[in-house]
Amino acid sequence: MKAMPIHNINSPDEISGSFSFFRMLVIYLVICGIGVSMLLTSFNLLIRSHDKKLTGDICSLVTEKMNNSIRYMTSSAENMSAALSAQDHYDLQALYDTLSRDTGSRGYVSIGFIDQDDNIYATPSELSEFDKWGLLDTAKLADPVSISAPYRSGATGQPVFTMFANFTYGGGKKGYLFLTNPLKEIQNMAYTESVTEDTEIWLMEAASDNIIQCAGSNSYSIGSWNNALLSMRMQINYDYQDEYIEWKNKMDEGHRTANTAYKIGSETYTQVFSRINYMHGWYVVVRIPSSSLSAAMQQFRTSVLIFLGILLIATIIMFLLSHKRETEEKRVLQNLSIYDPLTSVMNRRAFDFTAEKYLGRILKNEASLLFIDVDYFKQVNDRFGHDAGDRILTEFSAALTELFGEDSYISRYGGDEFVVLVRSADKKKVSKQLDILQAMAKEVKPCDDPEEYGDFVLTFSCGAAVSPKDAEDLKSLEACADDALYIVKKNGRNGYRWYEKAADVSTAKK
Amino acid sequence: MKRITALLISVILCLSLSGCAESTAGEQETKSVPDFAPLTGIVEGRKNIYLIVKIVEGSSYWQIIMDGAKDGGIDFDCNVYYSGTYLETDWESHEKLLDAAAAAGADAILLAPNDSVNLSGKIDEIHKKGIPVVLIDTIANTDSYDICYMTDNLMAGQKAAEEMISQLTKNGIAESESIQIGIQVGATSSQTIIERLSGFFQYWSKYAPDSWEVIPDIKCNEGSIDKAVECAEELLAYPDIKGVFGTNNGSTVGFARAVRDRELKDIAVVGFDYSEEIAGLIDDGGYIASTILQNQYYMGYTGVESALALTEGQKMPVKFADTGVVVVNKDNIDQSEVQEALLHN
Repeated sequence: MKAMPIHNINSPDEISGSFSFFRMLVIYLVICGIGVSMLLTSFNLLIRSHDKKLTGDICSLVTEKMNNSIRYMTSSAENMSAALSAQDHYDLQALYDTLSRDTGSRGYVSIGFIDQDDNIYATPSELSEFDKWGLLDTAKLADPVSISAPYRSGATGQPVFTMFANFTYGGGKKGYLFLTNPLKEIQNMAYTESVTEDTEIWLMEAASDNIIQCAGSNSYSIGSWNNALLSMRMQINYDYQDEYIEWKNKMDEGHRTANTAYKIGSETYTQVFSRINYMHGWYVVVRIPSSSLSAAMQQFRTSVLIFLGILLIATIIMFLLSHKRETEEKRVLQNLSIYDPLTSVMNRRAFDFTAEKYLGRILKNEASLLFIDVDYFKQVNDRFGHDAGDRILTEFSAALTELFGEDSYISRYGGDEFVVLVRSADKKKVSKQLDILQAMAKEVKPCDDPEEYGDFVLTFSCGAAVSPKDAEDLKSLEACADDALYIVKKNGRNGYRWYEKAADVSTAKK
Repeated sequence: MKRITALLISVILCLSLSGCAESTAGEQETKSVPDFAPLTGIVEGRKNIYLIVKIVEGSSYWQIIMDGAKDGGIDFDCNVYYSGTYLETDWESHEKLLDAAAAAGADAILLAPNDSVNLSGKIDEIHKKGIPVVLIDTIANTDSYDICYMTDNLMAGQKAAEEMISQLTKNGIAESESIQIGIQVGATSSQTIIERLSGFFQYWSKYAPDSWEVIPDIKCNEGSIDKAVECAEELLAYPDIKGVFGTNNGSTVGFARAVRDRELKDIAVVGFDYSEEIAGLIDDGGYIASTILQNQYYMGYTGVESALALTEGQKMPVKFADTGVVVVNKDNIDQSEVQEALLHN
């Protein structure tokens, strides 16, 4: 069997369904895009709520740890004071001298007493600090313990805080025991193994907005003072200022805890405060950058995105391969259903469908319809056999394709009948092509042996009509062409004729 | 096939876009600093003390510190060399100067650190080599120094707040009156400035009436006097402004200039250091102005004395010595204590 030729020119585009595949692919990609966007949005929401919750948890943990530790420290001061009170000392100077000798080994910066007449038992450097920082006033707040605001110690050069505890001596006289501790003690309490390197922890005084860093990425910044107006509020992006102010208002109003989220530049931070029970007016503030908390989740999100991307590409490749195979199969099927198996030009059904569509377009196309009959074909079959007849038909249709192929639809209507729809209504041009076809037909022989075919010459009869001049629809145009063919046949075949109106036809017949 | 290729490329582009990230590279500007130069006469066999200041040229404040160090060198019989940076934030150059002093065989170093946090590592390193380190003007966040002579800036800030309240009260502002106070800083990362600000807020939150509000929009002039004047004008435009606080010399100059330009004689100006501008307001008598003076001469002089003592194996009784401050206003300018402080300002 002959290989099926590919009919680029005569492929009826009107029957093709390839456009719908790309439409489907675009819809698929849009759905995938929406799906991925939704997934990303829900991931981001999840990450944000995870950040807030985790920061809250870390802050609660740190605050609880600090509260417990401060409670422990205040209890120690209370217990020490109670023990010394029970001993009922009369000579405070002697007691001070004894206790102050080994302060370093006990972890205090200093220890001392205040008697009922406000005499302070301390080093000269500490005495100046009492004066400078109004520590006597803080001592008098002891009930049973009070804690000073942090200040810089002359003895160590480092920030310290002093705890005061009620104390009795000399048969019921009332005084105070004081213990000065490095602020690092509180900072160490704030530190916890679970805190990431980027986590910043401060002690914050609500009234003054002053903050003291307890933990941060730079260990040398620990213990440094700052002011939240300068180091937080001034740095926060304008759009998030209101959220920060709302958060600070909650602190000023005495809320136990509150959280907020804001951006500094492109980095998002989650920040939580929690009240410290034993330091009136002081809060622990924890700030964590989202990038630090969400690193694992962001990595997971990236992995999911990469997986989805690979899946999408794989699906598209599968789609394309499947489409390619389907197109190939379709092409073969189309060839089988559209083309005449002997001559490889369109069969009647395909031609009618294609020609009707072509003629039926809104902007009317110009066309010439040619009804062609191979002359005396039956005699060919009888004289040379059916194979020779097939050869005649095949070669004749090849001549048609060669001549009209670029601009036409060619069809074998049945037996020796061919119909050609030329996409031109230029009678002169088409007539010239028919003249050439007559010459080409003469070259078509039923066999290769000249002795065998002898004086055989192939001729054809053709009736032609033009659209839209003669008729606009296919049926009418065919009828016109058929009329013209009739006349050619009647006049002895081997020729062609253009359809003329009825009056002319009747004249011609005569 | 072209359509398919284009489609694939666009899909891959879309996917890769989500993974795009900008990378930024911080560039460090290299700044040159002067070599160490002798501040005193150099005599063979004497101890060599190296002084590293924040601003080596064009600052009266740092000149006074160098004067103190020079007098200390003469009085205590040692060689004093000095150098410093041109920019108060150039801590990288301070690192280089510390290395250079150590390499030159310094017996002790007097350092006014440009950055309390970033220089701490280098100070650790120098101190571990056995070179005594005396800090002046600014403390570092490390234990690796022998003594620090500086203003307790937290306390200085408190004094500023106390003076502000006192000036406003003297100026007849009632506790019930709704007024505003503006604040300007020279830098947001300077520990000195931050502590002054913190001290101010510490005192203000305790003792100022509730109706006296600090404007939360703290202005930062980044060390520029022109910007300081602009910041001052922005703050002075607030309708209820009655007082302004400059946390350092530049900020105070900015406020003083703006107040004088507009002849705002009902605005209390509280600042730091004794610039021509703030001195002019105090001397005028028609303005409400106060400034806080530091004992920077003492930092340089006693710093050299202590450095020398350390090289001789003496221990310091304290790690941190507050050199104190003196508040100057038109009412106390004639007092002897103030006059003495003004001699070195």
